Amino acid sequence: MRNLFSPSRAALLLFFLAAALLPLALDPRGHLIRVAAMVLLFAAMAQSWNIVGGLANQISLGHAAFFGLGAYTSTLLFLKLGVTPWIGMGVGAVVAGGAAALLSIPTFRLKGHYFALATLAFAEVMRVIANSLGDVTGGPVGLSIPFMGSQPALFAFRSVASYYWIILGLLVAVCAVFHLLASGAIGYRLRAVRENEAAAEVAGVDTFRVKLTASVISAALTAVCGTVFAQFTFFFDPDSIFSLSGISVRMAMIAIVGGLGTLGGPLVGALFLIPLEEVANAVLSSQAAGLSQFAFGVILIGAILIQPRGLMAYWLRTPWAKTRRAAATGA
Amino acid sequence: MQPLLQADAICVTFGGLKAVDGVSFSLNAGEIVGLIGPNGAGKTTLFNALVGLQPLTSGTVWLDGERVCGLKPHKVARLGMTKTFQNAALFPDMSVKENVTTAALLRHDLKGARAKADTVLRKLDLTPIADADVADLTFPQKALVEMARALATEPRVLLLDEVMAALTPAEMDEVMAVIRALKAEGLAFLVVEHHMRAIMALCDRLLAVNFGRLIADGTPAQVAAHPQVIEAYLGHGAAGKEAAHA
Repeated sequence: MRNLFSPSRAALLLFFLAAALLPLALDPRGHLIRVAAMVLLFAAMAQSWNIVGGLANQISLGHAAFFGLGAYTSTLLFLKLGVTPWIGMGVGAVVAGGAAALLSIPTFRLKGHYFALATLAFAEVMRVIANSLGDVTGGPVGLSIPFMGSQPALFAFRSVASYYWIILGLLVAVCAVFHLLASGAIGYRLRAVRENEAAAEVAGVDTFRVKLTASVISAALTAVCGTVFAQFTFFFDPDSIFSLSGISVRMAMIAIVGGLGTLGGPLVGALFLIPLEEVANAVLSSQAAGLSQFAFGVILIGAILIQPRGLMAYWLRTPWAKTRRAAATGA
Repeated sequence: MQPLLQADAICVTFGGLKAVDGVSFSLNAGEIVGLIGPNGAGKTTLFNALVGLQPLTSGTVWLDGERVCGLKPHKVARLGMTKTFQNAALFPDMSVKENVTTAALLRHDLKGARAKADTVLRKLDLTPIADADVADLTFPQKALVEMARALATEPRVLLLDEVMAALTPAEMDEVMAVIRALKAEGLAFLVVEHHMRAIMALCDRLLAVNFGRLIADGTPAQVAAHPQVIEAYLGHGAAGKEAAHA
């Protein structure tokens, strides 16, 4: 309780307050509020990823698998059985959590790049399956959610602002989960695993169980983001929802550029990268094919080279953020 | 009386190399046993095999009548045996207290673990550096924090891998006093140490290993005078000269 009003907390509150007030200043049906909603959604996705990637240092490049499982589960349940996506969202989270648990058994023995490659392969397999099971998933054509006007019980709204509020709520919830994990007993164990697995085991940490718990929670939250994304965009296909560059790498990149393992990292990273990508697209895509992606890539590399610990490192160096641990655990 | 720790003919093989070759010994509650032998004799491998970090090729390890070989290290720790690492394998991004708290979580909830960490830190005189980052510690401090972390798991058998390596004689006396106090509480120690002064002063019994084999088991004086031990340390022929001098 001592740190209730620490500057890090104040900054966090300020961020959420600004995010809550933003729709009042924007056209509720305009493009800018969509971009703002995407910033928050990607922040929530990156925060979900941060639980395994940041706290346990298991760099997954396959989180699109869980994102897509969430989107497909809720959408198929709705289209085929008429189940509201609110329930589908929960089912999707369970399916993704189960998939993460199954994936953990063979992959947790792998370290570093090998773990990253195995998760990457898993997402690719999911993409191929979704493309080939045309009868169930609609195959490469993808799935569309019919426009039904405003039906809150069916997770359908007319204004973008409604989705914006839901996404903001989701981000707050994911950040709360991250904070609880990071500052609780499991946070100690995850950090121990991240820093020295053998020493953690000898000190009594069940490293497999700790990593498994983190993976399942992370995958379930990512699946919830997938459902919200599907409802928000009304359409998705296997190549976009299971995309390596569009989803998996972007989730990791936002957390890394923002600050791996910190509560603020995914927020700062999304706030920096998503608008940057928008601007690069708007300004450069008419100039030459691929120029905007090129510029975006150059900026990304620059950001990592200049500050490998992420943008949060600048905040943590200020006199307001006294200890790096306080911020790392969101205190 | 049944020994607290009993190793029966344990072997660890890496490819064709027998790092630990049929070693058997026992350790009683409240006993301090030193494990000596030249570099590469297999001391650290033996430690790793006992706590479950290194799978045994053959043989059995019993801890208070329970078979612990084949168990993961965290299960061995729960049953009451843990070790320290030769080069202080602390969690570098945590404070001293957080390192110790992590280990105390084995038997307590977070609040209880923090209290346990405070108790252990006080016992080892580490309270003044409780909030320090481990990256800022000196090597002797790291070794002590490593010992504190191991003690926070509330072991009955503690394997210490060169905790006194970089200590001054005064610091060494302090650590030995702590070890003796814990011994009085019934804790059993298996100690790898290169400081002969510490080993001779501290240990009730010595085990000497060379090329993975146990070559002597006895009181410090017996083992120090053992011809094979002298040969292992000083080379072939030294034992004979030693005997001629005697």
